[in-house]
Amino acid sequence: MSDSTLVTTDDVDKALVFKPKDARPAPPSTVGVIGWMRNNLFSNVSNTLLTIVGAYIVYTFFSAVLNWAVFNAVWEAESRRECLDLVGRSGACWPGVAAWMENLIYGLYPKHQVWRINLGFLALIAWVIPLWLPRVKSKVAIGISAVLIYPFLASYFFMGGNKGLVWTLLIALGVTGFAWVWLTTLTEMRYGLPFTRFMAGMLGASGKPQEVQVKYGRFSMLFVFVIALVLVTQWELQEVQTRQWGGLFLTLVISGIGITFSLPAGIVLALGRRSNMPLIRILSTTFIELFRSVPLITILFMFNTMLPLFLPVGVEVNQLLRAIVAVCLFAAAYMAEVIRGGLQAIPKGQYEAADAMGLGYWQSTTLIIMPQALKIMIPTIVGNFIGLFKDTTLVSIIGLFDLLSMSRAVGEDSRWLGLFIEPFFFVTMIYFVFCFLMSQYSINLERKLAAGNQR
Amino acid sequence: MNTNVLPREQTKSKTSSRPVIELVGMSKWFGSFQVLKDIDLQVYEGERIVVCGPSGSGKSTMIRCINQLEVHQEGDVIINGEAFGNDVAKNDHIRREIGMVFQQFNLFPHLSVLENLTLAPIWVKEMPKHEAESLAMSLLERVRIPEQALKYPLQLSGGQQQRVAIARALCMNPQIMLFDEPTSALDPEMINEVLDVMIELADSGMTMIVVTHEMNFARRVADRVIFMDQGEIVEVAPPGPFFDNPRYDRTRLFLSQILHH
Amino acid sequence: MAISESTAIRSQSRLSSFLNNETVRSVFYQIVTLVCVVGLFWYLVTNTIENMSVRGMSAGLDFLNVSAGFGISFTLIPYREGDSYFRVFQVGIANTLLVAVIGIVFATAIGLFMGLARMSSNWLIRTIARWYVEVLRNTPLLLQIIAWYFGVFTLLPRPRDSLDWGGLFFLNNRGAYFPAPVPEAGFGVTLAALAIAIGGAIGLRYWARKRQEATGKHFPAISVGLATIVLLPLLVFMLSGRPLTWDMPGLQGFNFTGGLNVPPALGALVIALSIYTSCFIAEIVRSGIQSVSGGQTEAARALGVKPSWTMRLIILPQALRVIIPPLISQYLNLTKNSSLAIAIGFPDLVSVWMNTSLNQSGRAIPIVAMTMAFYCIVSLTVSFAMNQYNKRILLKER
Repeated sequence: MSDSTLVTTDDVDKALVFKPKDARPAPPSTVGVIGWMRNNLFSNVSNTLLTIVGAYIVYTFFSAVLNWAVFNAVWEAESRRECLDLVGRSGACWPGVAAWMENLIYGLYPKHQVWRINLGFLALIAWVIPLWLPRVKSKVAIGISAVLIYPFLASYFFMGGNKGLVWTLLIALGVTGFAWVWLTTLTEMRYGLPFTRFMAGMLGASGKPQEVQVKYGRFSMLFVFVIALVLVTQWELQEVQTRQWGGLFLTLVISGIGITFSLPAGIVLALGRRSNMPLIRILSTTFIELFRSVPLITILFMFNTMLPLFLPVGVEVNQLLRAIVAVCLFAAAYMAEVIRGGLQAIPKGQYEAADAMGLGYWQSTTLIIMPQALKIMIPTIVGNFIGLFKDTTLVSIIGLFDLLSMSRAVGEDSRWLGLFIEPFFFVTMIYFVFCFLMSQYSINLERKLAAGNQR
Repeated sequence: MNTNVLPREQTKSKTSSRPVIELVGMSKWFGSFQVLKDIDLQVYEGERIVVCGPSGSGKSTMIRCINQLEVHQEGDVIINGEAFGNDVAKNDHIRREIGMVFQQFNLFPHLSVLENLTLAPIWVKEMPKHEAESLAMSLLERVRIPEQALKYPLQLSGGQQQRVAIARALCMNPQIMLFDEPTSALDPEMINEVLDVMIELADSGMTMIVVTHEMNFARRVADRVIFMDQGEIVEVAPPGPFFDNPRYDRTRLFLSQILHH
Repeated sequence: MAISESTAIRSQSRLSSFLNNETVRSVFYQIVTLVCVVGLFWYLVTNTIENMSVRGMSAGLDFLNVSAGFGISFTLIPYREGDSYFRVFQVGIANTLLVAVIGIVFATAIGLFMGLARMSSNWLIRTIARWYVEVLRNTPLLLQIIAWYFGVFTLLPRPRDSLDWGGLFFLNNRGAYFPAPVPEAGFGVTLAALAIAIGGAIGLRYWARKRQEATGKHFPAISVGLATIVLLPLLVFMLSGRPLTWDMPGLQGFNFTGGLNVPPALGALVIALSIYTSCFIAEIVRSGIQSVSGGQTEAARALGVKPSWTMRLIILPQALRVIIPPLISQYLNLTKNSSLAIAIGFPDLVSVWMNTSLNQSGRAIPIVAMTMAFYCIVSLTVSFAMNQYNKRILLKER
């Protein structure tokens, strides 16, 4: 029995050449549009019935909504009475929403100061654009600065008024941060160096050792800070009390603060819950379980009524702050559980490897464990953000003028008396589009990150 | 694996002249991609067929068409003279004579080994429980793991799980056994224990179609070896001529690639 | 000199090894945390006591016996204006639990249906179900509750122009009206028949299983048992002369009297909660069933097991393991979300206790504490039970 199966020159002329058959197209009834429809819609009697019923449901629903919202709707009118005279209740009266659009978006903010809100949000967008630019290497630092430092800048844009010493310094820090982001972006795109290294080079320190370069870099940043400080002290903006904040602006402020607080706070709580120190573990667990067991509305009520009691007699706490505190603590507890799930999903081997490398607790956590945990849980984290955004509607119950409350105010205006459904529909659309886009983004992100795991 | 026994001679005494399995001009498409092109094949009772070929050649798809886990679009699949058609009940009835062993074992993890084996006899054949259990135990002895009867599938090693899967298929007393790459998911040291069971099954006269890369097994057990490539049957021959003197260039290329190590 | 140097080095390293010792550090951190936490609490408590004395508030529970002095629009348990605060608390809990239970039942039914629709082989049904889930999931619950209440229930007509079905069921802007069953003497026999039927059905399952083990023959115990539970009490009811009268809702003046009334707020709240939660349940059901690998179905088919039995014996037991924990979590969410009743004026616990009672009595601390305690107890009990269930049904692995 020969074991040789190598093709030898003797065998070559004995081997028959195999002629493969051509592939034929599939039977027409199984492919193409017809085939797809047969398989998916009309494959048997019950399926066909379902298709008919489904088509009927879709048709009635969409025709009713489109008729009301588009085809029969009134697009130009001066008052609700006019709308009703034109189409009665069968069509939507959109002019009311258009007339109130500024209030829906900015609340009761003084009309001629609205540019500050726009500028503030523009600054945020400008702050994070570098995250999508190529060749920018300091993306992590830029992202963290957007979360930690941007709020100082934004706070003055939105609030204005008298600045004390501390606030002035913080605002200057904010301006410096913004300047740093764009300076670093430009130097990295052009020269491949972060701003501090670039300045060290400019000041003639490129040949010198690392510590000297760092000193030069820090000096340049300090210089920028001083300029910022001078500018900020000259800068005066009219005060706008938080009582006048409202609409989509207020909703975004509350969600934004909640989201930015919940992630770091959640990380701390999750680490605390897994800690080996009994007291810290008990405190973290109690906090998390307490805030997760009760509805958000009870926490909002609790802080609304009780925060003034917790602070010294006579200290005034504005209502927005009470709501923000409640939302932040609530969100932190839920985020903590999500991150704890991520920490649990990391194989024990990672912890052991970090230990074996001689890394301390904080080093191994920040460099090895936490990045992996966060990456695993990104879809759930974004889901939490979406949930938080939806939950901010509850602040309308304790009397804040968020987007939902504003939409109700439209129908109480004498010109648009009784117009409730149209603004409500509009607000629902805003929420749906925001949340839907965020969830699609998270699915995309998950797919991109998972691709990194595929071979 | 027991290599001391001489390879099986080709003594074919056909009890009936009609093939047990007949594939007539069978073609299958996944969407618009033709994965099987006009397959013609007859398998007689007691025959052991080994199917090999490169990945993507359609060998798994063909074997899954034989028991209609995949549905073909053209041609006929005829088992014991009855063709698979559109009647679901009739198809189930035909399928009863065919047992299948999967690459991923597919044991039911929430049931014990014994319950895995007795489920089909009790619920499909309406066997009383004690009868089903003694049948199951006898088959567990045949695959040499009677002591694992009360364990759960995830508590067993891969080789043990696959042997349980073979015993489970045998509990229904099928006329034909299909094996879809039964050892591909196993660690090397466990492959032989499964192949030994399959050899014993072959020696007892079971009609078998095995998709596998284990060429030594083919030499030992097969009556015919089928080589498939790109959806077609390229070459069919008894193991001797197939391995020593393949006729087609494709076959020689494939054999040189897999027999090299 | 070398000796004193090394002694110095050794004592220095002994100090640093003491400071770096894990236990020492752990104790140190914990003491620091304890001091901070206790300090914070001390600060909060002293402030609170001072604030309360300034405002003339007290924190005792004695107010529970005081008469509450306000009416409640809907009560499951009997309540009269003038009952004590504690009674109000009980009414709030009863209302919340009522909404929760009905909501859970409806949400599960709808969610199960939509979950199966999500996996339908029909593309149109699948797509409709998918968008059902997407729209409901991405819209705030509060908006949905308000939509159902203001959108639907205020569009309903006045009692005089009610929508009616056969003179038995009425729908108007005061709510839905059903005939209320009034059991008469002799109804107890029907109830006894029901109990017997349920016991019998259970016994039937047991007998059928034993029979199958012995002889192999299969008996459809589930269908027969269900049929008995429905038919036997019905038969007894008929034979015992139908001892049931109905309190019919009837229009008197401007309003309906008699019958069962489901106020619009309750109806809107239950419907909104059920539909909102059903979309999450649909996803849970879908992912649970899809988590069972396709190979399981293939193996069952290869063995010749019927599709309905494959589902019952193989797919469902494995899927339920994956489905039940998040399902229970959704039930808890529904219970907590019922607190949004306050937005449409339904008197659940938060609305009637944490809002009205707090404003009337001014006893913020005990009221808040009692409300939190209720939700905490419910959540933690259910979570604990869930953990026990999870531990027991874990698939046995190596």
